[in-house]
Amino acid sequence: MFELKPTINALMRSKLGAVLLILQLAITLAIVSNAVSIIQDRLTYLNKDTGYPEAEIFKFNALNFDKNLDLLQQVELDEQTLRDLNGVIDATAVSSVVLSGSGSSGGMQLKPEPQESKRVNMGYVTGDEHLLNTLGVKVSEGRDFTEADVVVIDESDARPSVIIVSRSLSDELFGQGKGLGETLYWGADPLTIVGIVDTMANQWPKSSFGTKTAMIPMIRVGNFQKFLVRTAPQDRAQVMRQIEELMLASHRERVISDVTGLDKKKARYDAKDVLMMRMLMTLIVVLVIVTALGVFGLSTFNISKRTKQIGTRRALGARKSAIVRYFVVENALICSVGLVLGGAAAVLLGQKLMNWYSVPALSYHFIATTAGLLLLMSLLSVLMPALRAANISPSIATRSV
Amino acid sequence: MFIHYIDLAWRSLRQTPLVTFLMILAIAIGIGVTMTTLSVYHMMSMDPIPHKSERLFSLQLQTMDDGETWLTPDDIPYQLTYTDAINLDAFPGDYLSAPMLRSGFSVHLNTASSKPFIENTRVTGRDFFTMFDLTFLHGNVWTEEQERDAAPVVVIDEEMAKQLFGKTDVVGESVFLGERRHEVVGVTQKWRPTIKFYDLNNGSFGKAERMFAPFSHVKAYDVDTWGNTNGWKFEETRDFNDKMNSEMLWVQFWVQLDTPQQRQAYGDMLMAYMQQQQKLGRFNRETLQYSLQDVNAWMNYNDVISEDNKILVGLSFMFLAVCVANILGLLLAKFMRRAPDVGVRRALGASKRQVFYQHLVEVGVLGLLGGSLGVLFAQLGLLGVRQTYNYYAGLANMDWMMLLSAPALAISACILAGLYPAWLVCRTTPATHLKVQ
Repeated sequence: MFELKPTINALMRSKLGAVLLILQLAITLAIVSNAVSIIQDRLTYLNKDTGYPEAEIFKFNALNFDKNLDLLQQVELDEQTLRDLNGVIDATAVSSVVLSGSGSSGGMQLKPEPQESKRVNMGYVTGDEHLLNTLGVKVSEGRDFTEADVVVIDESDARPSVIIVSRSLSDELFGQGKGLGETLYWGADPLTIVGIVDTMANQWPKSSFGTKTAMIPMIRVGNFQKFLVRTAPQDRAQVMRQIEELMLASHRERVISDVTGLDKKKARYDAKDVLMMRMLMTLIVVLVIVTALGVFGLSTFNISKRTKQIGTRRALGARKSAIVRYFVVENALICSVGLVLGGAAAVLLGQKLMNWYSVPALSYHFIATTAGLLLLMSLLSVLMPALRAANISPSIATRSV
Repeated sequence: MFIHYIDLAWRSLRQTPLVTFLMILAIAIGIGVTMTTLSVYHMMSMDPIPHKSERLFSLQLQTMDDGETWLTPDDIPYQLTYTDAINLDAFPGDYLSAPMLRSGFSVHLNTASSKPFIENTRVTGRDFFTMFDLTFLHGNVWTEEQERDAAPVVVIDEEMAKQLFGKTDVVGESVFLGERRHEVVGVTQKWRPTIKFYDLNNGSFGKAERMFAPFSHVKAYDVDTWGNTNGWKFEETRDFNDKMNSEMLWVQFWVQLDTPQQRQAYGDMLMAYMQQQQKLGRFNRETLQYSLQDVNAWMNYNDVISEDNKILVGLSFMFLAVCVANILGLLLAKFMRRAPDVGVRRALGASKRQVFYQHLVEVGVLGLLGGSLGVLFAQLGLLGVRQTYNYYAGLANMDWMMLLSAPALAISACILAGLYPAWLVCRTTPATHLKVQ
């Protein structure tokens, strides 16, 4: 009933147009399915929970240049000033800022250096007993740091003896669900795990070890000091505005810089991925438009070329629906060939991309979904010219061109 | 004749406004997308210092023990130890070399009205300015004595001089780096290479520093790096002195070698140096290894062009192929429809070659129009890039080369698409069409 044979015969007589359409659809399918797969991968990462209430937290730096300043005393004074501030929930001086893309990383291992043992890469942050509360995370096992855990480096030879780690770090080192109370080694120093936090990203959430994080109760003051502050979400903007003045009022000879929300810090860290996503989305949209225009243009041309034949068919008794069906079937045939070829091209392109770059494997359902949508788009684009063809008057058959 | 063909092309394009519009739109979108990604790629891969990029070398030494691996493809660390940088810079020889690192200070004028600000600073040797082509507007680089004695001097650029003093000729003025008073000995012309090729460790497209201080300050004033410090073995470092004597890697080193002889001699010296250091218990290796890479090789080694960008360039060229296929189809339709006219022209004496040529001119005009519109689309695309990712602000631009290549690419793409339809139409036999008419 679809008159497949005459349709195919007609196609074989003017191959080039069909070949061009097949080519367009195949490349479109290959590009779009791979682009969608990459977008999906980035979206999964961007939507991943970091564990922190990013909209409540902000950071800033203080660079001191007064040689005579007692740095430790100043840091403690600053922390107290911040905590006393209206709207502030907690504040602490930190060694680096999570989600920011910069800070310290290293390996935690099962045995002390220089012994060989299992070693897991992680990002670590040092601070005092307010660290977890300021970051808005809670231990799900064990306990938080206490004042007694905190060690000030440079005052004595004391070393921290306890550590709080993310679940993914303890799982990797000690096995699923274990780790609390175990001892790991940071260089040659033993540290006992007193608490485990379920979700807690480190400074490089995008990296392969982005979820492996350690919090160490240690203060090492320097001329360049970073601070983290957590407020109620509605108070953050107003607290951030006061920071510079407040800090300079307490000590003038320093520079306060980069007063930035943690959400913004993360957005900056992720800007490259957002850019890639937007570029790919733009590419998909314009590609689909161009392909649709191609289908539309070519069908229009085919129909105008066959005006006389259509008129003849109509004069010989073909219904309007038969004419529409003819063009739709023709298009569906072309489209299927294009999509089958495109499916193969998509798989091939996906493999190449995966070999050359750090792109996830292309799963087949992306190809299938894209192919389905492309078929739909193609049929929609052919519908209008086909309906116009159906309206060709049979009398045209009797006229010359 | 060419003018006449252009006139014909114009008439023909106006005859079928819808198809013409579709074709121009297709090529413009294709060019717009391709040029957006290609412009960023072009800026990322451009030789930042073309006239001497082959003579400037970044030095790497394999300081790690046998068996240790690094993140680099050849396992040689990116940076040097402080010890090696100092020793190598003191090598005698008629070449230029500069150890360097990125640091920063709070800068102010020590007056009530001057608000301190943080300024990134390149801490480096005297040769840096000659090697990387910085021009002095006033004064000059610090002297050898000043370098040796770690005299409190700095070189700043014109922009910073204006910011601090409101004028550029500020040689002899004092600026404060933290609590320390420094004398400005030179003011350089503004220097902002798009790619920060001399320091790819701290973001390839970061802004170049506006302030420069002698490398001897590192030791004299405990100036630590604001860039990466990498260790490969466990070392107890309690203070900055320990760090300077450690095997930690935190200093960058560039050398300018003008001739192959110099390169050879320098390589020999490096080998001799490593052997001598081996006697002191360092470089515990079977085979000693160093690496000298010129500017372009160094950028390649450091993956300056992002993976995402390479993927996008590839995909957008595939997209352009779709556009070409699209236009090919439309051109085919359009030209074949005109076959009767062509039949008449052929009958009246036009040669096949002339008909072919005429149609290619028409396609070329199409490409030019599409390409021009495509440049506009690309500008929009680049604006989007700059807005999404501020860090690419210096890269997401079209230079004159890209501006010219956009229409060139569009015309070539259109001619590629038009070849076959034009060939088909010029083969039209006059008789068939004359008969039907």
